Amino acid sequence: MTIPAFMRRPGGAFGTSWMALLILLSATSRWWLPYGINDQHYDDTLQGPSRLHWLGTDDLGRDILSRLFSSSGSMLLASLITIVVAFGLGIPAALWAAEKPRVQTVLGRVAEIIFALPMMIILLAVIGAIGVRTNTMMVVLGVLISPAVYRMLLGVALSLRQRLFVDAARVNGMGAIRVSIRHILPGMVRAIWVQVALLFAVSILIQAGLAFMGFGPQEPNPSWGGMINAASVHVYDAPWMLVPTGLALALTVIAANEIGDAIAATAPGVVVVETVRRRRTPPPAAKGAAPASAALSVRDLRVSVSGGAALVTDVSFDVEPGKVLGLVGESGCGKTMTALAVLGLLPNGVEIGRGEVWVAGRNLVACTAHELQRVRGSEIAFISQEPMVALDPMFSVAYQLMQPIRRLRGVGKAEARRIAAELLLQVGIVDVERIMHSYAHQLSGGMAQRVAIALALTGEPKVLIADEPTTALDVTVQAEILSLLRGIIASRGMSLVLVTHDLGVVADICDTVAVMYAGEIVETGAMATVLDHPTHPYAFALKGADPHVPAGVPVPKRLLSIEGSVPAPADWVVSCRFEPRCPFADAACRAPSRLLLSPTGGLVRCVRANELDAQASARMGGDPR
Amino acid sequence: MAAGRSLPAAIRLIQRGTMLRYIGRRLLIAIGTVFTSSIISFLLVHATKGSPGAVALGMGALPSDIGKFNQSVGWNDPWVTQYLRWLGHLLHGSLGESIIDSRPILDDLLARLPVTASMAFSATILSAVVGVLLGVAAAVRGGFVDRAISVVSGVSFSLPAFWVGIVLVYFLAIVHPLLPATGYVSPMDGGIGGWARSLTLPVLALAIVGAAGVARTARASMLDAIQAEHIRTLRAMGTPEWRIRYVHALRFASVPVVAVLGMQFVLLFSGSVVAEQLFALPGLGQASAAAASSHDFPVVQAIVLIATTVVVVTNLVIDLAIGMLDPKVRVA
Repeated sequence: MTIPAFMRRPGGAFGTSWMALLILLSATSRWWLPYGINDQHYDDTLQGPSRLHWLGTDDLGRDILSRLFSSSGSMLLASLITIVVAFGLGIPAALWAAEKPRVQTVLGRVAEIIFALPMMIILLAVIGAIGVRTNTMMVVLGVLISPAVYRMLLGVALSLRQRLFVDAARVNGMGAIRVSIRHILPGMVRAIWVQVALLFAVSILIQAGLAFMGFGPQEPNPSWGGMINAASVHVYDAPWMLVPTGLALALTVIAANEIGDAIAATAPGVVVVETVRRRRTPPPAAKGAAPASAALSVRDLRVSVSGGAALVTDVSFDVEPGKVLGLVGESGCGKTMTALAVLGLLPNGVEIGRGEVWVAGRNLVACTAHELQRVRGSEIAFISQEPMVALDPMFSVAYQLMQPIRRLRGVGKAEARRIAAELLLQVGIVDVERIMHSYAHQLSGGMAQRVAIALALTGEPKVLIADEPTTALDVTVQAEILSLLRGIIASRGMSLVLVTHDLGVVADICDTVAVMYAGEIVETGAMATVLDHPTHPYAFALKGADPHVPAGVPVPKRLLSIEGSVPAPADWVVSCRFEPRCPFADAACRAPSRLLLSPTGGLVRCVRANELDAQASARMGGDPR
Repeated sequence: MAAGRSLPAAIRLIQRGTMLRYIGRRLLIAIGTVFTSSIISFLLVHATKGSPGAVALGMGALPSDIGKFNQSVGWNDPWVTQYLRWLGHLLHGSLGESIIDSRPILDDLLARLPVTASMAFSATILSAVVGVLLGVAAAVRGGFVDRAISVVSGVSFSLPAFWVGIVLVYFLAIVHPLLPATGYVSPMDGGIGGWARSLTLPVLALAIVGAAGVARTARASMLDAIQAEHIRTLRAMGTPEWRIRYVHALRFASVPVVAVLGMQFVLLFSGSVVAEQLFALPGLGQASAAAASSHDFPVVQAIVLIATTVVVVTNLVIDLAIGMLDPKVRVA
């Protein structure tokens, strides 16, 4: 039997153990408790812990340990009533509302109203009407809590519904109820358990609070809240009485909360953030001089998980002023990591292991955080894949543009505003005034990407890094943004590194190409040469898988697909990393591969490139070029 | 600069009408909630076997006397009639009289409202300041600071406020007699100093638990904010780190934090019942506990009405605040 993941977390382990112990001790209490709940020992009132009374005695000389554990069982059961009611209402309501938008509107209003009722006051009103009846009160509490359950689970249910497999089930003719129970409910299980644990804690706290005020089990029957109340009376002469019951109550609530937190933390996709303070120890980099002509020069770059596997190895490229380099490859091959490493924007837990990144005569890898900050924006800028989330949702476009303009160009407010408007015009925005006053959520994807490009231009950088800048956009908008980028590069003499998986985009705009596979560059050279005449087996497989067909060429019946998938960094082999998937692999390919001069004049990471190229041209019966 | 911009912007939008429609919708829901809760409390009272006569005249009363009393307060009318009559009195500024001591309820509760409100308000402010500072520090500094703050806030969040209160009394009123253990001193009687001293322990007890809740939310939303994509854009533009954290990320994190502060105020207001009992404060909570145990129906109804109104007004204020902070809500 394996231990569930949440119990392996310290909080979860503590919470589960305490709850298990509490339930065990409560369930077996009648066999082990040393005294009855009402055994009074008048000689031993208000005692501290002793051999006779392990947790001491109360004002009537009753054994605190016995009273504590004889009342815990009914307390846990009563809290269970709240949970059953709250989820008995909340789960079906959430499932129903997720199916029917109209139901969702109505239930939303109802939930909002119940949610706004002052819980404790309503409970007191119930007590005022019907007297102290714990079970009824716990039912009412369950009803009052149910909107919280409903809202939380509705969110989960709605997002599950949007997943493909639910649609598939629906198309297959499954009824709404069966879809809900078979497909949506199982996906909600984790969220339900988290809520159960957290609301169990709330229920215990409220129950104890009511009992503390005298609205719990009546004397001589014990309750934790009532025992704390008795202790509060004797805080002057017997402060010890506060300790056992208070600690037991606190531990129980902490345990329930910790279990909830631990379950939530084990959800797939929840990345436990290691907020390591960024103490960048620059890797031992040669303080050499910058390569003369290139605007951006990357040498020997290695990116790895801190103290773990490498993600990108041995990547080198140059981008000349006014030129565009396309960094292409399948997802998971290290393109984005390379781009982020150039900017020093790697996510937490990923770092540059070695290498140099030269921009404007500086090696960015050896820069301090402060130096890096000064280079960014003014020498090198970034355009990301998702323009809608790349802009700050809380500030207007005008503010977001003017703030870096003022900082990077050292101008006043009015001048910054003028420059911002000018930049927006330059990125093809006609309605400048309206866009300046807009917020990110009011912009379309294409419009937001234009604003993001304008933002990148605010510091007049020499180098732009664009990570799939058109992938999230409509096809028609893609072409517009590409031609905009091309225009900007040409007119300003800037350099662009374009990360993409789309060979059509590469053909459109790039001057040179670097094809990446499994964290390394496998082929690089002039765009037309690499695209028309790839020499690395992976590069020509990529080309075969490309759906773009030049005009005049017959559309292939089926696209080539590459056997297998890009290996995860941990699965990289020591030999040529493409060898396991390569149809041409032979014994020579078992050795680690190096970049070699390719038959077409570029660089290729394949020992058989020349040989394969000759074979291919022989088969084609023509000249390789 | 960031905060300074939002207020005139909001005013401009109120003039333009977008905000006005938003407020109107929230106001309708608020009124609906108050009515619903008053109807619920009415139904609750009428669903039980007890009657005002039985409560007012006590155990040994003759059934005929009880009947007469009930007749005189209109208990035998259909509950809809009684509800409308109650609403009519409400419009004239009356919440009726207590059936225990026949005093006008409104005057009594109005005298109590400042006690509860000042306690809940001070506790909310204190938990807001401490909670936000701790939560942001944990998110920004990370490492040991984060772990320490997370553990402390996780534990404090789970502590019952009334138990914390007694422990505070023990240490700050008994072992070191710095503050009065119980009782309330109004600013008129004891001056601001005396008043503040009498509220310090209850406010501390409530704020320790409240601050822990705020800190948890502030930490989580600040972490979300720091990892948000637009923060990476700012970093890529070379924006100074302090500006990224305390202008952009904090503004982004402020929306959930403000929402939680509203919930805290409601919780503390409603939870003042327990604190007032413990510290012998003459607030609304004490009155509602007394009314509940003596089955003083009109007082219970009046308190439900007042408490719901407070909750609803709080939610309204929070909605407005979020509307000003978040352009997505403001500019639909």
